[in-house]
Amino acid sequence: MNKTFYICKYTPIELLEALGADCKNLNEMPEGFELADQLAHPNICGFGKALLEAVMCGRVKELVLVNCCDTIRSVYDVLEDSGRLDFLYMIDILHSGGACSREQTALQLKSLAKAYGAYKGTAFNEEAFRSAFHASRKIKTPHISVLGARMGTELFQMVEKTMPYPVENDTCVHNRTAGTAQPPENMDFDELMDWYAGELLGQMPCMRMMDHTGRKQLYNDPDLKGIVYHTVKFCDFYSFEYADLKQHADMPLLKIESDYTVQSSGQLLTRLEAFAESINPNKDGGKEKKMGKGYFAGIDSGSTSTDVVILDKNKEIVSGIILPTGAGAAIGAERALEEALKDAGLCREDIDALVTTGYGRTAIQDGDKSITEITCHARGAHYLDPEVRTVVDIGGQDSKVIRLDQDGAVVNFVMNDKCAAGTGRFLEMMARTMEMSLDEMSLTGLNYKEDITISSMCTVFAESEVVSLIAQNKETDDIVHGLNKAVAAKTAALSKRVGGEEKYMMTGGVSKNKGLVKTLEEKLGTSLVISEKAQLCGALGAALFAADMVER
Amino acid sequence: MRVVETFGQYVDKLSDDSPRNARRLLKTGWEAQNLKFRFLPEKDLFPADRYLARMMMDVMLKPLQRPENSVIVSVFTPCEILHEAGLYPYNVEAFSCYLSASYAGQAFLQQAENEGLSETLCSYHKTFIGAADKGILPSPRCIVYTNLTCDANLLTFRRLAERFQVPAFAIDVPLQQNEENVAYVAEQLRELTSFLEKHTGMTIQEENLKKRLACSKRTLENYREFQKARSDKYVPSDLVTPLYAGMTNNILLGTKEEEIYTEMLLHDVKQAQPASGKRIYWMHTIPFWSGAVREALCLKREAQIVGCELAQVFDGEFDPEKPYEAMAKRMVYHALNGGVTRRIEAGIRHAKEAGADGAVWFAHWGCKHTLGGAQLAKKRFEEQGIPLLILDGDGCDRSHGGEGQTATRLGAFLEMLGGEAHE
Repeated sequence: MNKTFYICKYTPIELLEALGADCKNLNEMPEGFELADQLAHPNICGFGKALLEAVMCGRVKELVLVNCCDTIRSVYDVLEDSGRLDFLYMIDILHSGGACSREQTALQLKSLAKAYGAYKGTAFNEEAFRSAFHASRKIKTPHISVLGARMGTELFQMVEKTMPYPVENDTCVHNRTAGTAQPPENMDFDELMDWYAGELLGQMPCMRMMDHTGRKQLYNDPDLKGIVYHTVKFCDFYSFEYADLKQHADMPLLKIESDYTVQSSGQLLTRLEAFAESINPNKDGGKEKKMGKGYFAGIDSGSTSTDVVILDKNKEIVSGIILPTGAGAAIGAERALEEALKDAGLCREDIDALVTTGYGRTAIQDGDKSITEITCHARGAHYLDPEVRTVVDIGGQDSKVIRLDQDGAVVNFVMNDKCAAGTGRFLEMMARTMEMSLDEMSLTGLNYKEDITISSMCTVFAESEVVSLIAQNKETDDIVHGLNKAVAAKTAALSKRVGGEEKYMMTGGVSKNKGLVKTLEEKLGTSLVISEKAQLCGALGAALFAADMVER
Repeated sequence: MRVVETFGQYVDKLSDDSPRNARRLLKTGWEAQNLKFRFLPEKDLFPADRYLARMMMDVMLKPLQRPENSVIVSVFTPCEILHEAGLYPYNVEAFSCYLSASYAGQAFLQQAENEGLSETLCSYHKTFIGAADKGILPSPRCIVYTNLTCDANLLTFRRLAERFQVPAFAIDVPLQQNEENVAYVAEQLRELTSFLEKHTGMTIQEENLKKRLACSKRTLENYREFQKARSDKYVPSDLVTPLYAGMTNNILLGTKEEEIYTEMLLHDVKQAQPASGKRIYWMHTIPFWSGAVREALCLKREAQIVGCELAQVFDGEFDPEKPYEAMAKRMVYHALNGGVTRRIEAGIRHAKEAGADGAVWFAHWGCKHTLGGAQLAKKRFEEQGIPLLILDGDGCDRSHGGEGQTATRLGAFLEMLGGEAHE
């Protein structure tokens, strides 16, 4: 039998089941949006596209939608036109929960019952209706809650695997509370539908409702140890709640955004792991290793370079090596470690503990532990200057701003999204367009005369803007300054989002770019600490964590 | 243009340290622009459209001059009740447009994003929120909005109400077109009258409201008649005139000024020369700031915009003697309410009436309804013999433009429309 898929918590699932439906929440994340992009537009919400994809590949034959938002409204139009479904229905749930809305909703329920019953050839079965109601199963122990826009099954499983506590999915459709209280006895169909309409509308509101003050109960739970706040690209509803929550939440909060594909979720792993590290109740866990010769190593395997730091038992740096990563993280790490050992006059056995970090950290088999570069950068920065409270790290493929406490532990952090805007790669591409090296670019923007603004944030569009500025014979200094301003604005925005405060330290390869550093200092209205060991910051943090693992 | 750009930079800089001064500068700048419209109007436009530019500037200045008598509204909020209470519409979409046109928009967009709002949120909403949060916009008397056609309204206006700490009234418009839903909305509009009476101390007379609705009816009929009359005429158009009409035909509906505008249009079109060049009907907002679009369509005999859907959102009949039902019907049967097919059919009908050779479906970044319906629109318009270009861009945020791409797409589309159809 075909399943009847639904997407929204306001869907009358119990009514559909009373008419013989086997209901299922459509929640899988596709690999990509090849079919959906042909039918609608790439810039609608990823979940809307996931829905189109699921229908167009033939997996869904019966679908009951709610007019949740403008994307779903459009998806309904496109699907109706496609003729690919045996049963397609959209319920018009109003945006307020008042008496008039309840009356209108009861009418909607009766219309749906009529349409679905006619399609299925079934009639309302009161017994089946009653048995479709189940008591709620919520976690009652310390836990993490995922809030915000709906989270696909695959991403949720990843969150569950990463977090040090049980995880409750309280996003969108998943926090449905209708269907938990048993219907009253001795009611006729009309009375039952009126009661049921009240149950549906009386749930904790979603963000599309006109009054959503009731949502506060989602984060006022004393058992809540942290919140992973999820938004979906091109779904704007939940960013409003996040903006509010960020001001008022007094518990650890991580914001992540996915485009509802499996690939985009993979990229979120580092953030989730770093968050888990910052809230882990056992993070100071036991010393796992015995002291040997008293040397500790950290390897930071980044997209561009692999860095190694070796510390002695006094936590003094005995070697720091930076090598290009090359083709593979594991080989690059091995080579860099060998180089560092040689530099320090040590052999592998002299190293008591080794911690790996960076994008390639899990590919390196040799390590005793792997810790995200976010936690390691914070620790490294604290070692280099204990007064630092904000680290700005602009690397090859991402940029991040990390806020730390007086002990070097992560308080909050934010990373750029998938797009290259505001990263080292952006500057690299622009340098190529302008036919100069990164070193030349670093000095070029310092003596600008005209204050040019590059308005496009998209790397591809910015490149075409640069080409047209070159065609207008604009001075190279002025163009480079415009580019620096674009990156600085993006980075300053990240810093504001995370609540950056002084002192600021800048790490990562881009910290060598003098023009950018100057522009960023102007944007932030403060000076940046740039250590000569800035590039080694992640590896240094990892080596410090390695030292923690050893009993003295 | 450099003067305006420098002006915008000043407003932007001042908004960080002294929002009040930034607001004063903005008001002075806009008043200067208003004087320019009066004494140095765009001579290529028809007298009606020159009058429109001045009227629009007045609408924008009122909330800056008299914020205590202004009500923040979304563009499709019926404003007859407001006008009857002597209140001025303080329109979010129009303010964002004007801030962007004054080169002051980018800082406000950035402000909203810094606070955590999504970068994919419509730029009209983000600009206004950012400007409000920076303190450059004055606090209104109250806020009235509707979810009609735009779900972001549900969030933006509520947030603004919290920001300004003023009462807000939301009009919930159901999707389906039927009498029950008209009654549901009419009831809310009656409550709106009580809400406004309570918060302004004014009394709204139903008899006067009936007269206003009669005026609205005449205005809409005039405008449609003008659109039909222009089908074989050349009516010079820049990029902002169709947008101004889109705004005033909604927020000034029921005012004598707007009716006069449509009467002037009917007068002017009689004097117009025969049609020439390619004629484009425009769906959704127009990126007035884009050099590429200006180059192709601004006051050009070879190609011009002959109408914009925002100015023609309701074709049906309504009875001014039942003013609440009349306004409710306009909302429920609004061309952009319900399935996108209704919107597409209205677009096709209006494009044909205005004698369009082709249409542009402007896929404004952040407008999910427009984006989602784009391919369906292309299919339906073309089935009806009207070639349609889906043009990606942003009506307000310059950083979402790809000027090279826009120029190529629009240029190729105009070339594709072929010979000089009306010459």
